[in-house]
Amino acid sequence: MISQHLPILQIVVPLLAAPLCVLLRQRHAVWAFALGVCWASFGVALALLLRVMNDGPLVYELGGWAAPWGIVYRLDPLGGIVLLIVSGVAALVLVFAPRVLDQEIPADKHYLFFAAFLLCMTGLLGITITGDIFNVFVFLEISSLSAYVLISMGADRRALLAAYRYLVMGTIGSTFILIGIGLAYMMTGTLNMADLAARLGDVHETRTIRAAFAFLTVGVSIKLALFPLHVWLPNAYTYAPSMVTAFLAATATKVSCYLLLRLVFTVFGVPLVFDEMRLAAVFMPLALMAIFVASTVAIFQTNVKRLLAYSSVAQIGYLVLAFGFASQAGVTACVIHLFNHALMKGALFLALGCVAFRIGSVDLEDLRGLGRRMPWIAALIVIGGLNLIGVPLTAGFISKWYLVMAALEQREYWPVAVAMLFSSLLAVAYVWRIVEVLYMQPPRPSDLQSDQREAPVPLSMVAPTTVMTLGTVVLGVYPTFTVQVAQRAAEFLLGVAA
Amino acid sequence: MLSPGLYNYWIVVVLMMAGFYTLISRGNLVKKLIGLNIFQVSVFMLYISMGKVQGGVAPILIGEMPAHGHAATHAAHDIDSSHDLHHDVHAKESPPRHPNESEGVLSDVLPQIDASPSLSPAAVQLAELQKTGDATIVYSNPLPHVLILTAIVVGVATTALGLALVVRINEQYGTIEEDEIHVMDPEQP
Amino acid sequence: MRGRCLIGLVDILLITLLAATALVIIAVRDLFAAVMLAGIFSLISAGLFTVMDAVDVAFTEAAVGAGISTVLMLGTLMLTTSRERRGTARIQILPLIVVTLTGAALIYGTLDMPIYGDPQAPVHHHVAPEYIADSPHEVGVPNIVTAVLASYRGYDTLGETTVVFIAGTGVLLLLKRPRREAGAEPTKNTSGDQNQTASG
Repeated sequence: MISQHLPILQIVVPLLAAPLCVLLRQRHAVWAFALGVCWASFGVALALLLRVMNDGPLVYELGGWAAPWGIVYRLDPLGGIVLLIVSGVAALVLVFAPRVLDQEIPADKHYLFFAAFLLCMTGLLGITITGDIFNVFVFLEISSLSAYVLISMGADRRALLAAYRYLVMGTIGSTFILIGIGLAYMMTGTLNMADLAARLGDVHETRTIRAAFAFLTVGVSIKLALFPLHVWLPNAYTYAPSMVTAFLAATATKVSCYLLLRLVFTVFGVPLVFDEMRLAAVFMPLALMAIFVASTVAIFQTNVKRLLAYSSVAQIGYLVLAFGFASQAGVTACVIHLFNHALMKGALFLALGCVAFRIGSVDLEDLRGLGRRMPWIAALIVIGGLNLIGVPLTAGFISKWYLVMAALEQREYWPVAVAMLFSSLLAVAYVWRIVEVLYMQPPRPSDLQSDQREAPVPLSMVAPTTVMTLGTVVLGVYPTFTVQVAQRAAEFLLGVAA
Repeated sequence: MLSPGLYNYWIVVVLMMAGFYTLISRGNLVKKLIGLNIFQVSVFMLYISMGKVQGGVAPILIGEMPAHGHAATHAAHDIDSSHDLHHDVHAKESPPRHPNESEGVLSDVLPQIDASPSLSPAAVQLAELQKTGDATIVYSNPLPHVLILTAIVVGVATTALGLALVVRINEQYGTIEEDEIHVMDPEQP
Repeated sequence: MRGRCLIGLVDILLITLLAATALVIIAVRDLFAAVMLAGIFSLISAGLFTVMDAVDVAFTEAAVGAGISTVLMLGTLMLTTSRERRGTARIQILPLIVVTLTGAALIYGTLDMPIYGDPQAPVHHHVAPEYIADSPHEVGVPNIVTAVLASYRGYDTLGETTVVFIAGTGVLLLLKRPRREAGAEPTKNTSGDQNQTASG
């Protein structure tokens, strides 16, 4: 009986857990409770993914009202894997959380922090699993507002302005999405995504629908941090608490990418988007600029968190490039990279969190000789960096491989393939900066002295970092799982849009 | 001639852009949030404009609730009796009722919405589709109203959060002007 | 006929007032005045909503937009400052371009819209007629908006409640004064912070 209601349990469990966290003030109890809830959500997401892979798309009517009069949940393999990413990263980050939070946030606010965290996760899960476009807006707002709150909790006072800027830009994005929903509704009369797709066939030549698509795309692109709308991201990721950066970097932009895929392929359909509106002509150049400009700016950063934030902007460029190919191979590559990047970036930011915990800073200057001071964490950072470059035996290589294959499949895109390979050189440049400081430079005597005084990084922090980093290696060597799910996701996505 | 056509939408677009301009051009953090509010309210006006039907009334059922046999029966009966407290004049009238005598709750406040004689054929068709039991009452579309009710609440929640951030920023920096904040903490690339 | 003329006139009057209020808000530098004008904007738009048959939305906008928002902003002004600095009052080119492009895209989008009040519009012929026809016996409430909000699309309402909850949690997280507890002040500031108000 429970298995019938799994789709709604995925959302309701963390949703109801959040107010319970607020009631349950004691911070250790709240952490344990939140941890349990996140692992339970991970279990549900895994069960849902397996069911969707075996039995096909799931439909769940909320309240028993049929679509389009009620809200309906619709899950396909693409949604399934995104659910897995969000809940999995949340579960690992929460294991990481307690010690690092003690350092960064006042103890009497932890219970509120965990409530906000659970709601952020709920919002992201809600966007992924729903089949109703206005429901997407509501859950987008839930996840966005919680993200603003979480980011503002950073210890540095610049976190506040970063959160405010993100709030302003994010709300502009949400309002654009609302405008887009309104325009699409005006011409079709429905809010259910499948129904909308069916009815758009009659009205897709109208200027209103084109404007609707434009506003929806721009709104989602702001949330996705696609160049040039990425300006909120570097500050937000740099100044947020380390576990928040790890969580958001691995999930928020991925869910926005999912939303874009859903809108482009399921709702509006390839003919309208790529043939009539020629989205590829706009997105490909922007994606390439994202990759090159962001990677270049990353090379000159002195704060490693900021460097990785720019690297994220570049990786988002790869995602957009992949689905810009509008082919099954392109979408497969996009989904594979979605999963792998979540893992890579999550691992890197968790490792940086360990570093910040131990030495109190993430400036390159202060990381000198870390290879000797914190050998295991330094090794994990290097593995993460290898992923970003795309060295064989890492998950990053699998992503790059599929991306290049998707580019080469369509004859006219081979310059893009070359550009992608060239951009890996830029990644080498910024990863080398980190590696050089970690291993080639001797540690300062003052650092060695202060290291004696600091406690070693606890297992609760090292373990999730290790799991995620080694996960990237395992998936680099045995990519079957990711590739299979991605291929199935692409089939469904492109099949439905026919 | 007084039917605004598309003109209504254009004015709403102008209002949206006024709010949007305030949001992105002003440096004062509170002014930005005021601009955001105006932007959002104008978007709501766009939605509500699309729900209006010429010659329609607010989507609150006028008159007796039609008979039914659910568990909702009791609830409806109770509502009907309180309905009657407001306008017991037509409690036993038989349909179709002439809309000019309609005594929906708002009829004392709003000018008579002159529905029947000038309902266009399209509106009559719509009334039939709405199955209201009276072919001359047309209701405006309730769905945009529902969406906007949610959006209004989301908007105020965002404003509240933004204002809390502004208060904290003021505590830390002593100012709420972006330019002055950049002087204190210079922007990095 | 007279009724229709009257509504049309009220419509035009309200919209003109709204446009005037919006323009004054952009220009005025006294934040207190700007907040009050924003409250007036909300109230007039509530009037406009009533004219457009959206009575639920009208009183929600009046209560939430003109009421709560105004109070929150006044509270913020009390805690911060009440004048906008001169210098940001000049016309800025890049925002103007962005705004013009967005406005143009929107107006482009309006060109194929059904005209205001058209009963033939697609929105009135799908989903909504069934709400109006079936809600009396399926839900049993005379206010159809309530029926949709609380029953057919009740899940969105749950989401909306959650949004309010997260806003409350956020405000608590940001503004709650920490109690004097062992090890409770890790806030480190980068550039010497002369304005840190005493917390606790």
